[in-house]
Amino acid sequence: MSDKPVNHARAAEHFIEDAPHLQFHDERLWDMRQKRDAQMHILPEWQELREEASRIKEHTLSRLPEYLEQFETNAKKNGIHVHWARDGAEHNRIVGEILKAHNARNLIKSKSMVTEECDMRPYLAKQGVTVTETDLGERIQQLDDQLPSHIVVPAVHKLTADVAKIFAKDYHTDPDIRDPHLLAEAQRQAARPVILHADAGMTGGNFVVAETGTFVVCTNEGNADLSATVPNLHIATIGIERLVPRMADMGVFIRLLSRSALGSPITQYTTHFRGPQKGGEMHVVLVDNGRSARLGMEDFWTSLKCIRCGACMNTCPVYRRSGGLSYGAVYSGPIGAIIDPTFNERKYSTLPYASTLNGSCTNVCPVKINIHEQLYKWRRVLVQHHEMPFVKREIMHMAGKLMGQPKMYRAAIKATEVSLSTMPRFVLYNWLNPWGKHRENPHPVKQTFNDWYRKNRETAKPAAAAPETKK
Amino acid sequence: MSTARDEILQALRNNRPTPENHPLPPVATLGDLDASRERFITSLRILGGDVLEPVEGETLDQAIMRRHPDAKVICSNVPEAKGTLPVEKVKTPQDAATIDVTVVRAPFGIAEMGSIFLSEAQLPINSFAHLGQHIVVLLAADQLTANMHTAYQERPEFKTANYGVLMSGPSATADIQGVLIRGAQGVRSLSVWFT
Repeated sequence: MSDKPVNHARAAEHFIEDAPHLQFHDERLWDMRQKRDAQMHILPEWQELREEASRIKEHTLSRLPEYLEQFETNAKKNGIHVHWARDGAEHNRIVGEILKAHNARNLIKSKSMVTEECDMRPYLAKQGVTVTETDLGERIQQLDDQLPSHIVVPAVHKLTADVAKIFAKDYHTDPDIRDPHLLAEAQRQAARPVILHADAGMTGGNFVVAETGTFVVCTNEGNADLSATVPNLHIATIGIERLVPRMADMGVFIRLLSRSALGSPITQYTTHFRGPQKGGEMHVVLVDNGRSARLGMEDFWTSLKCIRCGACMNTCPVYRRSGGLSYGAVYSGPIGAIIDPTFNERKYSTLPYASTLNGSCTNVCPVKINIHEQLYKWRRVLVQHHEMPFVKREIMHMAGKLMGQPKMYRAAIKATEVSLSTMPRFVLYNWLNPWGKHRENPHPVKQTFNDWYRKNRETAKPAAAAPETKK
Repeated sequence: MSTARDEILQALRNNRPTPENHPLPPVATLGDLDASRERFITSLRILGGDVLEPVEGETLDQAIMRRHPDAKVICSNVPEAKGTLPVEKVKTPQDAATIDVTVVRAPFGIAEMGSIFLSEAQLPINSFAHLGQHIVVLLAADQLTANMHTAYQERPEFKTANYGVLMSGPSATADIQGVLIRGAQGVRSLSVWFT
């Protein structure tokens, strides 16, 4: 894997150039945010639910080893095979071995961000296993050889025409189809025979219940249930942070998850797997892949509370206008920007800057992760670790010097105002001035604050100089 | 050599925040506790499901044919409906693929969400609930629970079933340009018949 920092700004620039895609993306995600708000307003207990969810998750994380052991004991009692994977490579090896032992060549799977993390598909392809994504959005992304651009709606950056083009190539449908219903039907028709002839099915897991040894999968299309019930071999890949202590805790999370994600009260399917089906075999692979280390990071461990609803992405002005692929990582958006650097600090060093720090992500988070504060804290960490782009570092260095010397600062401000009002556009708007990209520079003012202050208040006493006014 | 399990658990023990600072909150029961049939029906319709209302003198089989006039293969796992395909014929998970309408009984429903619950106890084989084109679900009106909190606390099925699915309307997707499509890959429609 290349360690070169992701150039989020350049990728975003590219995304912005395409007006129809940008406009749809922005509006679609904002619509999801508004539907989420409508659900929130129906429930007077919304803030209480968030508080409960946050407390249950923090409690569970503080006792994660005990709850994992409890889950393992109960799951084994119910006939589930439990595996542990330190990292992606170990996970892929385990899955590959299970499939090999069953001589399974065709694997159907529902969406799972952990398998994306582990980069499982290319590994299994080398073992001669054909992996077919059965979620519509994920399948589109698989056929287009792209990462999911959103954790809930993987192909949200595409328009109908893009999907028609992809399906035409692989499903031999008409490339000029512009009715999403016809394309969704094409996916159903293409997926059915693959599902019926699959040797094994794979799902993720949204929640894991320690008390009963159950894992819970929340989906809409029915593809996860088909993947889990048609083949007799079911493998579930789950991050170790997904635990909750009691079945009764699920009430809190199910009430929050889909409302926060899509603004629907519940996903169409909420499935509880506690053991293999008649004649079947069930495996759970518990994946660490950096999570246990993250638990030890004082400022960042609460990011492990995340239930992957995507609300922070939908609300983020930067995400909506740059698209998930611009983050160059499995996890995009605000939540991605705070967890990606734990996977590779250098490669993802640019992502905590993909934010205006407006705090909207924190406000919509159903488990109350202080996302915008963590974004800010990551910037500090990255500076301390010297993971800062050269130009940004130099500019900050110069700004620091300038702001430390009032006289020089004032002179610079004046000079800027003069140049803003007198210089021709081509001098102000070019590659040397990133502030002139995609936006107008601020209007020049006739007088700086310092000049105004000297003229009006210099003689007055400091206390009287600034009377309290209504803000 | 230590195992992955031991290493992961040890790392978690070393790195976790102080457990005493994060006590487990008591089980929550919040929100509207209305368990009425009216609330259930409203919620069910929001999720794209519908109620199959009997017309005077009509049997369940007749009502199903009225709702699904093109259905050729109807397979019932309840004594209230005969169907056209004996359920004994559905032996492997793949056998359910030819069914147009499956008929099952749910042990309970959730008023808040319009969800119905199904497990292996109600299904000849688990794929039965998903491979058919449409599903008709029988539900006793007195087997409704108010919301997700009461459901998880009151219903023993969540702790006993190996496979337990809450279906809230038919399968759906909005993955192509945000257009909501009911009937994605699982059932195309879900109708509830109250008993």
